[in-house]
Amino acid sequence: MQKAPWTVGLAIFFVAGSLFTLFVWIPIDIETGVIETFRRRVTIGDAMAPTVMAAAILVVSIVMGILAVIRPEPSTSKVKEGLDKQSFVFLARLIVAVSVSLALMVYLGPLVVDMVNAFGGEIGSYRQLRATYPYKLIGYVVGGFTLIYGIISIVENRFSANGALVSIIAVIVITILYDVPFDNLLLPPNGSG
Amino acid sequence: MGMLDHIWLGIVTVFTVDPVFSVAGYPVSMTIIMVFLGLIFGIIVGAAPGIGGPVAMAISLPILISIFGFTPSALLPVLGFLVGIMKGSTVGGAVPAILFNTPGTPDSLMTTLDGYPLTKKGQPGKALRVAHFASVSGDTFSDIVLITGAPFLAIIVERFLDFPEKAALIILSLAFVSAVVGSNVWKGLLAALLGLFMAYVGTGEDGHPRLSMGYDNMANGFPLISAVLGVLILGEVFKSLEDMWREMRETSTITKVEVKGDNKLNLSDIRRILPYIGISASIGTIVGALPGIGNTLAATLGYATGRKIHKGSPAFGEGAIEGIAATEAANSAVAGANLIPVLSLGIPGNISAVFILLATESIGGFVPGPQVFRLIPDQINQEMVYAFGLFTAMIFANALNWTIGGIFMRWMGIMIRIPKQRLLPIVLLLTLTAIYVQQTSMFAVYVAIAFGFLGYLMRKLNLSVLAFVIAFILANNLEEFMRQAFAVTGADPWFLFASPVSISLIVFSIVVVVFFARNQKDLS
Repeated sequence: MQKAPWTVGLAIFFVAGSLFTLFVWIPIDIETGVIETFRRRVTIGDAMAPTVMAAAILVVSIVMGILAVIRPEPSTSKVKEGLDKQSFVFLARLIVAVSVSLALMVYLGPLVVDMVNAFGGEIGSYRQLRATYPYKLIGYVVGGFTLIYGIISIVENRFSANGALVSIIAVIVITILYDVPFDNLLLPPNGSG
Repeated sequence: MGMLDHIWLGIVTVFTVDPVFSVAGYPVSMTIIMVFLGLIFGIIVGAAPGIGGPVAMAISLPILISIFGFTPSALLPVLGFLVGIMKGSTVGGAVPAILFNTPGTPDSLMTTLDGYPLTKKGQPGKALRVAHFASVSGDTFSDIVLITGAPFLAIIVERFLDFPEKAALIILSLAFVSAVVGSNVWKGLLAALLGLFMAYVGTGEDGHPRLSMGYDNMANGFPLISAVLGVLILGEVFKSLEDMWREMRETSTITKVEVKGDNKLNLSDIRRILPYIGISASIGTIVGALPGIGNTLAATLGYATGRKIHKGSPAFGEGAIEGIAATEAANSAVAGANLIPVLSLGIPGNISAVFILLATESIGGFVPGPQVFRLIPDQINQEMVYAFGLFTAMIFANALNWTIGGIFMRWMGIMIRIPKQRLLPIVLLLTLTAIYVQQTSMFAVYVAIAFGFLGYLMRKLNLSVLAFVIAFILANNLEEFMRQAFAVTGADPWFLFASPVSISLIVFSIVVVVFFARNQKDLS
């Protein structure tokens, strides 16, 4: 009976989500109806497809939930389902590593430029320098290194010099791969906004 | 212009347009070079732990588009490279299975059963040669079926299907994929419906982008490439990282093998394995042509059928070359047939087809579907020329695979030495970078990561990611066909039941769901 709780939970989640979508989200966030009539011409409105999908999700979730309760799959099944405590621990670490890396990627370049300016460098804004070495690569290289090394360290459960070396080489190779041959390619975050 | 003219133009385009250099006076075109490079890259990634053809295609696509641009002349070089990866990775996937008893991908699992025992007997060379011969044979057979079958299927579809029938056909495809992939039909349906729903966020015909919650970034919906790569690639990376984290570290050791005895592929060996290749190639082609069912089922069916007809020694599982041939021919025959639904119906049935479709959508000028094979009086249908160009690239890739693929394949044993836990974070950064350079927006990266976590959760909860992705891609077509069908039938709410063909397709959709719901089996 191992599978039922997750399937039932999934069914409840989607029943709640589809009811919310049908009665709250769709009415307030779609301006045309399910069917529209304009100058005697009847057409399908923007609300039709999401409404049909949400209704279908509601029906399928109810059937799936009921079947999971009355006909649960045997616990001998080879396929492990659901998340356990270990999964949440791993996910938390992964989310921290990914978030820190992306924050570094996006904000480190502007931060360095601001610091240089603050110490009297007067080099201009990051926006003006995002095609200039080394500023344009600072965020990507440090953020990319943090992402690779962070995840390697999580999986190997240790910080190793060898892992750091692999991460540095990988980031340099990827940077060269994208930045050197293609003038029109912009590494993160230099193309945004 | 007739069909033969288009075939000839397709061939000429592949071999002569954009020559890069000449060999003995013959021009070597960019498409030819890209097919070659794609094949070699495919063999390398196929042999590498944790990366397969889909990951390689995901990483390559934005780089290729950056190199070749968004003009139709980019189509054949880009598609040629992707086709090369597709074919190379199926061949390369057998290497770790045979040499190290480590299936790089699930479909190589059956190859370990006889491949590794042969390696332990000191005949890794023979095992690799059999795998290569069977794999390329299966692939070639499948391509022949694709090239001869897809245009005719497309012509029939174009002639008999109008908007209501096309909408019904998409519903049938989604019902089929939902039903056959994974262990639970209802979860398959839920995944497909979720994919459809999420594709409707931020789209629509009205000036107000629906369900966008007021965010400007959401006004055009979730970026297709972010959503697809997030669920397919990042989700798989996150799940694999967790599996490795749980195991802490792979404990597999590199076995030193002493090479001894007969390591060649003799004529007598070919005679022994040919019947198995023939049967498995047919199984693989049929399985590959059906949307949603992949290489793993083909490999399993091919191996099981081979074992039934095999007599003599060694038995299957003890190093029989017939076992390797049966598996490799079946899982490689899926590759070409996989493209039948996308080229003839516009419905991507599997991951390789998804990437071909992503490439054509990004570049423009070629929309896979039945209209590709439409003959226009006194005019050239450029899309048909591209389609036959793609077929030519596939045949050329096969020719390369027959001649040099085996040599490269036998060099790839070294790839197993790369630790997977160090490769996957690099793949993660590469994929995120690839998404960014194509979309030049951090929002696209955040969406990809969010969809990556969604893909991770879907895998943990046994919701089919393939059904989700195929539904996400087909959602706008489905809505458009529905709108058109509603309009052409004079606002008839029963437009899906307007003709015997559409009624049959809808009834068949229901039958498929009911049948598989009553006979739930894990076909994934």
